[in-house]
Amino acid sequence: MSVANCSAFLEQLDQWMEGERSPAAVAHLRSCKACGNLIADLDSIRDTAPSLAATDPEPSERVWSALRAQLQDEGLIHAAHPGVSDILKRWLRGTFLVLPRPVLAGAYLAALIAVGFVLSGSNGLRNDSNLWMSRMQRSTQPLSASLETEEGAISSMADTNPVVTASLRKSLAAIDNDIALCEKSVREEPQNEFVRDYLYEAYQQKADLIAQVTEGDEGQ
Amino acid sequence: MARTRRTETGEVPEAVSIRLAQQGDAAAFERLYRLHSRRVYSLCLRMVGNTAEAEDLTQEAFLQLFRKIATFRGESAFSTWLHRLAVNVVLMKLRKKSGKETSLEQVTEPDEESGTPRRDFGAIDLRLSGSLDRVNLQRAVDQLPPGYKAAFILHDVQGYEHNEIAEMLGCSIGNSKSQLHKARMRLRDLLQEVVREKAREERRAAGGSED
Repeated sequence: MSVANCSAFLEQLDQWMEGERSPAAVAHLRSCKACGNLIADLDSIRDTAPSLAATDPEPSERVWSALRAQLQDEGLIHAAHPGVSDILKRWLRGTFLVLPRPVLAGAYLAALIAVGFVLSGSNGLRNDSNLWMSRMQRSTQPLSASLETEEGAISSMADTNPVVTASLRKSLAAIDNDIALCEKSVREEPQNEFVRDYLYEAYQQKADLIAQVTEGDEGQ
Repeated sequence: MARTRRTETGEVPEAVSIRLAQQGDAAAFERLYRLHSRRVYSLCLRMVGNTAEAEDLTQEAFLQLFRKIATFRGESAFSTWLHRLAVNVVLMKLRKKSGKETSLEQVTEPDEESGTPRRDFGAIDLRLSGSLDRVNLQRAVDQLPPGYKAAFILHDVQGYEHNEIAEMLGCSIGNSKSQLHKARMRLRDLLQEVVREKAREERRAAGGSED
């Protein structure tokens, strides 16, 4: 095989390694030992490379400790999960003076108890994702049913404080997104208790928020 | 209420952890760190070759990530975003060390610009088979210039695709492929030198002449 042919082969070497193999390159490789050796070496390097990851070390605990301390100093993390409702509580307090008294708190509390009951169900139930989701959906029907009431309550606020109403809508949307995300995760991994815990927590955040609105109403 | 009960099999999905971290949940930050720290640290360690420096760089990469996590909207994979930050942190460090710009382009030698290897067709072809092991390969990787090294580690060691690497390195997919190809060719040269050195040592041990 001539050097010219080897040069032509080497021109397309990166394509070869990416799996693009022209008939001319295949023919050349069949008859050229030097290029054959080159390909064998490159294949060996590529095939050996993943073994380096197998022995990847972990960074020492010093890294996480220092990182956590810095994040705390900067106020980026909180020791306990505050949730959207906790953030809202500060400015909700004393703000909702003119809300109609909704029955939402009761509805959400009932839903929460029902969800809690399902979450604490038997292992057999947990292992059957369809049955579990079916029970879960039934238990959360009060939540769905009260959405219209919730919408009405928020709308009634629009006349009094549009800024607060917009923030409340945004916060509720964020919690609803969390709930949707958690429900999707539960559907995908029905046996994952951790995910179910977070779904429960998301429902509780919503209940907390609605309860706070109710408290504001009571304070009238 | 923060419930952190963990089961034998249960892991919080990454998307849930990201959402919670965006709300300031400390446990979620830690889960994200534990999930990705090994890969990020390995990348840093291979790039700088020093454990203390690699740990500092890992910390810096995660710090930057967590400061910006509220802006993460999921347009790219979380790990891609994190690795991009890590690569930038490492290149910045190398830039400061060398006192000049260190970019992906600052890695090629004049005779390698074409991407084609130097070949002496009259020379005896040294095959790597039998002499290529993890230790030798790691030593050779340590000698690669930063751009080659990043492309090789991300693609061949950590298994990312070229489109992901292009996003991490801020270059085109073609450039990522080119960097990887040149990295492999350089590694072959370095490893062949190991084979030659080994052959010379064997000749010396047998009492023969070196040349």
